[in-house]
Amino acid sequence: MDPFTSIIGERSSKDIPAFLQQLKQAKHFPAFREKNIALTRQQIQEAVHEDDLIKQAVSCITELNRVINILMKRFREWYELYHPELSHAVRDHEKLLEFAFSRKKPKDSMGTALAETDVKAIQELAAHISQLFNLKKMQEAYLTSAMGKTCPNITALTGALLGAQLVLRAGSLKHLASLPASTIQLLGAEKALFRHLKSGAKSPKHGIIHEHPLVGQAPAGERGRMARILADKIAIAARVDYFKGAFIGEQLRKQVEGKR
Amino acid sequence: MSVTPSRFSGLFEMHGKKLLFLTKNLIAGTQFGEQLISAQGTEYRVIDPTRSKLGAALMKGISQLGVKPGDVALYLGASYGYTPSFVSDLLGETGFVFCIDSAPRSTRDLVFLCEQRSNMAPVLADAFHPEAYASRVSGADFVYQDIAQRNQAEIFLKNCDLFLKPGGFAVLVVKARSIDVTKKPGVIFQQVRRQLGEHIAVVDYRVLDPFEKDHCLLVCKKKI
Repeated sequence: MDPFTSIIGERSSKDIPAFLQQLKQAKHFPAFREKNIALTRQQIQEAVHEDDLIKQAVSCITELNRVINILMKRFREWYELYHPELSHAVRDHEKLLEFAFSRKKPKDSMGTALAETDVKAIQELAAHISQLFNLKKMQEAYLTSAMGKTCPNITALTGALLGAQLVLRAGSLKHLASLPASTIQLLGAEKALFRHLKSGAKSPKHGIIHEHPLVGQAPAGERGRMARILADKIAIAARVDYFKGAFIGEQLRKQVEGKR
Repeated sequence: MSVTPSRFSGLFEMHGKKLLFLTKNLIAGTQFGEQLISAQGTEYRVIDPTRSKLGAALMKGISQLGVKPGDVALYLGASYGYTPSFVSDLLGETGFVFCIDSAPRSTRDLVFLCEQRSNMAPVLADAFHPEAYASRVSGADFVYQDIAQRNQAEIFLKNCDLFLKPGGFAVLVVKARSIDVTKKPGVIFQQVRRQLGEHIAVVDYRVLDPFEKDHCLLVCKKKI
């Protein structure tokens, strides 16, 4: 595969440093440079795995959520100058975007009667936020299918979004598979963990797996226990997924639910 | 205010409001948004000591680096290539620098840099396993390492053994927080110095505060 292996391979390890020094000549540099650039380009091309795509998709969804929230807050502030009653009555963002301009505004509204061009500006914003909601749905569908293919067992246990966030926190599926369950339990609680280790504060019981309904909705005294049980099974699922084993996700999920 | 050669060959300095270290730009234009200074028809690039630990060590008054134009350098932990680009400037057309890094993400940016600069080569490999990339590099006159790993001293010695010429200089940047977060940085610096001293001569040592927190830079010379 690479041109110098055979030349090096024939030498005993004692001679190599001297041999490498002999290669240090200006006439060899262009060849060194070209071969290394070509090889590195190829390595970078081959370094992308399925979990890299999952990491990008889940980061994108998180960022879309943030952007949507910021813009939605602005939209409500702006829209309420025009028609506060509707914004007040409809708390669901997507519904409000849908109905904001399709219904006639009642005469006794607290809002100001705005010129058409002013309304138009608010309408533009609404249209773009709606598109962001659509984009988010598409990305979520993509993430679900990608996770189903790459990490079926983790997905069965945690759902696509939380599973992908665990992969992101761990850095890669490979690294997640190598983590002990106790670390998986605390992924996302690093700050609390180090505070605990350094100053003896209370130890955290769960990191982002708190997002899982079985953990988050458990009674306060049971949450630590549920987090531990779930993390145990995630650790098993991650290893099965990394080594492309059989599908045991349903079984694992039932075991966790059985311990509720 | 004029650009004058500094006491390090290949490096220039300018005394204005504050001291600046510069290199002669090998190619035209800026690569990282760094400040450019033109003097006597030559373009120079300013080394930012808060971005480059080499620059920080220069500002802290390091006595020698042991690298000169025309040398061949091995750069371990090249990342996206900020400091390597200045090493490449320093070595000039006749020198060469091999840039090793293990992360595909930062090496991607490094490849673009190497394609622009005729004396740089990227190598995507783990510096802890020099035998894996020994077939992709030549021996070196100068080794520079800046890797945030627990076993950074061991990695450094391994690479110096294999690639550095006898009597050649090597620079190691130590990040104390990567070795042990609970110990005081000063204790770790002494520990690394002792560990290196058994194999290689340590000729200078600078703590990089305030430019870089909990870091130090060691200049070493390989025994002949």
